[in-house]
Amino acid sequence: MIVANQKPLKEIMAMLKGAKRILVLGCRGCTASCAAGGAKEVKILASAIRLDKKLHGEEVEVEESTLVRQCEPKYLEPLKEIGPSFDCVLSMGCGVGVNFIADRCPGVRVKPALDTTFYGAKLSQGEWREMCAGCGACVLHLTGGLCPVARCAKSLSNGPCGGSQGGRCEVDPETPCIWHQIYSKLKDFNETEQLEAIIPIRDWRPSGHGGPRHRIREDLLP
Amino acid sequence: MKSGSNLESVLRSGKFAVTGELGPPRNSNKEIVREKAKVLKGNVDAVNITDCQTAIVRMSSLTAGLIALSEGIEPVMQMTCRDRNRIGMQADILGACALGIRNLLCLTGDHQKFGDHPQSKGVFDMDSMQLLQMVKAMRDEKKFQCGKEIKGGEPRLFLGAAANPFADPFEFRPIRLKKKVDAGADFIQTQIIYNVEKFRKFMEIVQDLGVTERVYILAGITPPKSLGMAKYMKKFVPGLDVTDEVIKRLKGAKDVKEEGIAIAVDIINQVREIKGVSGVHIMAIGWEEAVPEICSRAGLLPRPEAEVEAILIGKDSVDEAVEKAKKELAYELQGQIDRYKKEAEASRQLVTKEKEKTAKELKDLKAEIQEKEHLIAKKEERIQELLEELEAEKARIPAKPVASSLVQEGHEVIKLKDKKTTRDVDRALYSLRSGLESLKKALGLKDDAYEALRRFIEAELTLKGWEAQPEAPVSLLEVEREKLPPKEPMKKRDKEVVNLVAKGNLLLHQGKAEEALEAFKKALSIDSEDEKAKAGLKEAQDALNMAKAEERPPLREGVPPCPEGLTQKEWERKWVIRLVAKGYCALYEKKKDKGIEFFKEALRLDPENEKAKKGLMLAEGGEPIPVEVTPPKAEAPEEKVEVKEKKEVKEAKKEAVVPKKAEKAKKPVTPRPTLKVAEVPGAFSVKKETTTLKDRIGSIPEDLFIEKIQGEIRRVTIGDGERAITVGGEMTLPFYLFEGDMPYPPRIAFDVLDSEPEDMPDPLRKYYEDCLDDPVRWAKKCVDDYGAEMICLSLVSTDPNGPNRSSSEAAKIAKEVLDQVDCPVILWGCGNAEKDTETLREITALTGQKKVCIGPLTDANYRNLGATAMAFGLPIVASTPIDVNLAKQLNILLENLGIGLEHILMDPSIGAVGYGLEYTYSVMERIRIAAILQQDEKLQAPLICNVGREVWKAKEVRLPSDDLLGEQETRAIILEAITALTLLFAGGEIAIMRHPRAIALTDAMIKGLMG
Repeated sequence: MIVANQKPLKEIMAMLKGAKRILVLGCRGCTASCAAGGAKEVKILASAIRLDKKLHGEEVEVEESTLVRQCEPKYLEPLKEIGPSFDCVLSMGCGVGVNFIADRCPGVRVKPALDTTFYGAKLSQGEWREMCAGCGACVLHLTGGLCPVARCAKSLSNGPCGGSQGGRCEVDPETPCIWHQIYSKLKDFNETEQLEAIIPIRDWRPSGHGGPRHRIREDLLP
Repeated sequence: MKSGSNLESVLRSGKFAVTGELGPPRNSNKEIVREKAKVLKGNVDAVNITDCQTAIVRMSSLTAGLIALSEGIEPVMQMTCRDRNRIGMQADILGACALGIRNLLCLTGDHQKFGDHPQSKGVFDMDSMQLLQMVKAMRDEKKFQCGKEIKGGEPRLFLGAAANPFADPFEFRPIRLKKKVDAGADFIQTQIIYNVEKFRKFMEIVQDLGVTERVYILAGITPPKSLGMAKYMKKFVPGLDVTDEVIKRLKGAKDVKEEGIAIAVDIINQVREIKGVSGVHIMAIGWEEAVPEICSRAGLLPRPEAEVEAILIGKDSVDEAVEKAKKELAYELQGQIDRYKKEAEASRQLVTKEKEKTAKELKDLKAEIQEKEHLIAKKEERIQELLEELEAEKARIPAKPVASSLVQEGHEVIKLKDKKTTRDVDRALYSLRSGLESLKKALGLKDDAYEALRRFIEAELTLKGWEAQPEAPVSLLEVEREKLPPKEPMKKRDKEVVNLVAKGNLLLHQGKAEEALEAFKKALSIDSEDEKAKAGLKEAQDALNMAKAEERPPLREGVPPCPEGLTQKEWERKWVIRLVAKGYCALYEKKKDKGIEFFKEALRLDPENEKAKKGLMLAEGGEPIPVEVTPPKAEAPEEKVEVKEKKEVKEAKKEAVVPKKAEKAKKPVTPRPTLKVAEVPGAFSVKKETTTLKDRIGSIPEDLFIEKIQGEIRRVTIGDGERAITVGGEMTLPFYLFEGDMPYPPRIAFDVLDSEPEDMPDPLRKYYEDCLDDPVRWAKKCVDDYGAEMICLSLVSTDPNGPNRSSSEAAKIAKEVLDQVDCPVILWGCGNAEKDTETLREITALTGQKKVCIGPLTDANYRNLGATAMAFGLPIVASTPIDVNLAKQLNILLENLGIGLEHILMDPSIGAVGYGLEYTYSVMERIRIAAILQQDEKLQAPLICNVGREVWKAKEVRLPSDDLLGEQETRAIILEAITALTLLFAGGEIAIMRHPRAIALTDAMIKGLMG
């Protein structure tokens, strides 16, 4: 899933400066799963805004709503009608949602309430970790299913750097050295010889360095 | 050497290398780099310049490296993947190399998190492994990472990589090192080693992986400066294993720094013993002063002399160089000044000396003159005396008309002949005296010497008597009056000649050539040797000839004077031909009257001339001249080459040859052995063309029809001794003798097969019936009966698809043939490249230096056979399938092998009439034109055509006689002869033929054409 994190309230309030009618718009997709922008978080954030505005002696009308997903056109239809009447629509979807509203709903002033952080997994209640970089050129088959692009501090392709010690990354001792894990995993499978071949220099174009990415599946086109 | 760096050469030489480390400053002060470099210089072979180590911003590794280089120490530029993408990195690499950096250590780089800009975006476009691959490809494959070629100078770098034996997972570390070596690392510098045991283990595994042979490993050494530092490293630096023992040693040390150096030296001594360790990398960052001490104590000094060339030079070095240059220049200038001074002094002295010398000489000369004058006076006196004496003597004996008388003079006696008068004596004496006088002057004799000489001569005269004296010249004038030297009379006679010559020249200029001629003749009658008169005479004659030749219509006398080199008759005939031609020209131009005039004139000179008569008739009849009858054709009645074949003449002429023209005397024409056609029923002769092309062509200027040719066909000689045959040498298209020389005529070789042919048509078989089964007899018959000049022995029996006779057997037969016939021999293989190589090698091994020609050499066997031919210096036949470029290609290949064109005959592969002759003709003609007109040297080899083989397999030579195709034998002969002749016209120099009569016919044609 896409993991996001709510921006600091201060930052959000700065965005809402002067706004009198505000819609806090949640998403039941990824951001709800990672407890950043679901219906519950919408309620909390809306209350916080009201309180902050009241504290500063400002009048404000904050409405709350949560869409099934902010990244599909059909769910945005109602917003197209009501959206323009608000001074600000504060999206609690990921960056995709914010972009999509801005793209699709003319006259809607949309602002992000979240920082979209990574493609990750929930390790346990309240803990998420990055697992994928969306780099567009998967090498997981070579690395025991563990991604060195997303999970190595230097995105190394050919084994652990000299800073790997005790299975920990030198950049953050709390982070496991993914290359150490890759090595252990392949060793368990008796496949370490895979690591003896040099993975050649990457083509970074599929990871976004070749420009915004776009996907078309001809068979599904209307 | 991959890079030419000092580090590389030290490592390659097998010496234990030492590298140091230099951390650039966090400012722009170059002096800091210089100071550090100076400390390290002479103690290390190269110094690593770190690239923002621990991600802290510093002076870039490239620029600090260049400063170090300018100090005379070789940098190892470090490059990390953290701060630049592949574009920036490659750009820096190109620049670094351009400025003299030769070593590159490829690192992934410390994460930016550890540095002073943790907010920065880590680039990590690639990792160290991929960086190594990229730079290696730039160096070795001259390719950028994208695959594009680096044109005009690739970066030459000695590539290094880092290895950490102490990081985890330990067992993967040697593999990772191997991967770096695979990626392109030439040397490895390890992490700081304190735990030597672990390092040893690591090295053992590396050794087992077989990596140490492919890479130089330098062990990382750092002297701990303090206990705190050691503890910090142990605790906080990931991947660094500081042993407790080190901590303990530092703790217990009185002088910690001293102990730190001792520890470093100990570790160096330990790692040195480990197999696969080629050197040490001493990292004393911030404590560079320790390095000389460590090196010295570890016995690493002195370092080998480093040859470092900085492209950007430091200011000091520049100053130094300038100072040095100044000094040198000043020294040189001073030297020059001194030299000039000395020279000036010397010349001054010389001048003075010269002056003195001249003065002295002048003085001497004056004295000499005086002396001479004195002498002359004396002489005159003496002469006077003598004259008086003589007078007295004369007076004493004037009346006596004696037959002989004695004249007393001094002690000598001169006997006079009775018919001589006293006057004669006087004259003789006078002459004698003046002669002696002149002699004396000439020899500069002293008086008494002169006197002695005079007396000797007089004595001689007396003894010999006056009879010995030559008679005085008739025109000798009186001694008293005549004072002119004896040459004068000659000159006077000349005068008349000169006058006449001058007159002649004048007349010549006035255009009166005939009168001038007279004058010159007169002059010559006086002095037949006079060069000027002779030249004038020739000029006058020429002028006269020219004037007469220029007179367009020879109105009066008809034939102008005959030019030099022609007899009167020839000239007349020519003149008539010319007149007729002019007549036709006039008719052609529709000037009938003029035409009639010319024809009449021609008929007046030669009333029998048919052409003129016909012309006159045509002109008077007013019929227009048919357009296609061009004048030169009309006046060349003998142009046609007639071929007469006299059938079944038993006593055929001994020779079919027509006499050679004497005109082309300069041609090195070798006398040709005559082809004996006596035994051949039916001989041929071709009527000789007597009129030269120039005559036939009339007044058309030469440059209109003569092409200047520069190329020359190479001369190739086959055979040995007197019968050797040379072909080639032409500087013209075939038989264009009016354009250039064709020193050697084309030749024909009789084809002899080395086994009895089964399918030989009867018209050919009957000539060789008795010898078909024996190539030796066959060849002999060709030579003895048919007068063959050359034999081609076709080794058809060796063909693996045919009889497949073994090479050695074939060689024996060939050897016998070669021994039995004395004419040149061509050995022609069966056409199977491998078998021919084998066979021809066998034969040449038997025959040795004998200059047989071997062939065919194709692109499949030219190497082997070419080598054989080269070994014995044999001419060869280079055979290609009917294509200009293939022929040229094979010649080039042969030349590359070392065979000169003077040994190559080209076989272009030919076709008979009706079997591709026109194609062959075109290709051969193209080859020849390229060779001589375009001067393509690779094609200037003679051409050889295997005519017989092609013709005698054609259907038309086998069909029996019938009304439509005519008599079989005649048909076959004509087919072979026409094929041969056509190919000779296309440029062939040698034709290999079979039928004796076809050969005789072709030979007769050649002789006719060669003239």
